[in-house]
Amino acid sequence: MANMREIRERISSIQQILKITNAMYLMSSSKLKKARSALEATEPYFYKLQETIESVLEHTPHTAQMYFDRRTDIPDDKRKKGYIVITADKGLCGSYNHNILRYADQKLDEAADIDNCYLFVMGQVGRMYFQRRMKSGKQAYVDGEFLYTTQNPTLYRAREIAELVLDKFEKHELDEVYLLYTDMVNSNLQEPRTLQLLPFSRRHLGKAADGTLKKLPKASFVPSPEKVMDYLIPQYAKGIIYGAMVEAFCCEQQSRMTAMDAATNSAKDMIKELSLLYNRARQAAITQEITEVVSGANSLEDQ
Amino acid sequence: MARTFQLEIIATDRVFYKGECEHLVITAIDGLIGIMAGHEPLVTSLPTGELKYMVDGVWKYAAISEGFIQVMPDKAVILADSCELPEEIDIKRAEEARQRAEEKLRQKQSIMEYYHTQAALNRAMNRLKISQKHFK
Repeated sequence: MANMREIRERISSIQQILKITNAMYLMSSSKLKKARSALEATEPYFYKLQETIESVLEHTPHTAQMYFDRRTDIPDDKRKKGYIVITADKGLCGSYNHNILRYADQKLDEAADIDNCYLFVMGQVGRMYFQRRMKSGKQAYVDGEFLYTTQNPTLYRAREIAELVLDKFEKHELDEVYLLYTDMVNSNLQEPRTLQLLPFSRRHLGKAADGTLKKLPKASFVPSPEKVMDYLIPQYAKGIIYGAMVEAFCCEQQSRMTAMDAATNSAKDMIKELSLLYNRARQAAITQEITEVVSGANSLEDQ
Repeated sequence: MARTFQLEIIATDRVFYKGECEHLVITAIDGLIGIMAGHEPLVTSLPTGELKYMVDGVWKYAAISEGFIQVMPDKAVILADSCELPEEIDIKRAEEARQRAEEKLRQKQSIMEYYHTQAALNRAMNRLKISQKHFK
């Protein structure tokens, strides 16, 4: 039978943790409310943007615009790939960080040459993870000056990030750019996703209503496809990054809330179990004392 | 009743307008473009500026900042950073933003910062202009 004092100490330490997890639960649930309304406001834009760009690309005539340069002369193992990975700034949010980091690892493994992978990690947790890995051997390069938080996404931050990667692409420091983030499918289901940001590729053929491939009609671009794309692509990159940031932030809060709720519940269960044990131990101690007293009295009577 | 087309104006923070529209006038990179139902497919980008659209014979105005438009014969989609009605514009905030940007322009900056500040100034001026023009 466990010691009474030990159990009491254990219970009080669990109660302390319970207070913390409960406070974090309350905090994340209020943050989640905010993040969720931001997500609801941004989601139409995010999806419409992807949809519209898709259909714009179907109607784009041939263009020599630099963001369409696929650089096919560079072999697969020499291509410099950039990955923007969105993680959380803090831990304690269940498997959220774990999932996106494992997903990013998978993507890196798929890359032909890991030495030519460049990571742009948003969020403290992911940055620490990849930097530690970078020091320990042959791993993807992490841009140490890419310091952006994932808290409360703003358009301003998205613009800066978009400008940075577009600039690197123009200077041939990157040949392909991907965006890795966690998508909120519904409140119980979150999935890591990849979006290819650069380079753009236009489509020549589309599926007609009868299932056959047909040449798509071209739209007119005013003043010229190149000019329009000069504006449109940074705009698209910014919008997509912003949307992904909002999605990821909402996912983070959601999974933190779930994790903290679970932690609070299991702490409560543990306290319940331990107080049962404690009562039992107390009862046993009392019984033992009574037995001792009684047997002591008995032995006195016997004399 | 004039012929109408489906117009969607979506800003990053909300769906600004979704519905029928008779006539749309946008400020594109090189000037104003008027769009009515049956317009040829067109894609162009919109700098910070003014936008007007006609619903039931009434012109409505809006301040728009940086976006693009895709026009199809039966519909048009505008995606923009922000879009506001003249009466929604926070004049005080825009005025503050303008002063902040002007102050910043007097300082020494990198080219990138200079462009950013100029864009910010542009947005603030546009808001002020449109709110003064259409909302008194």
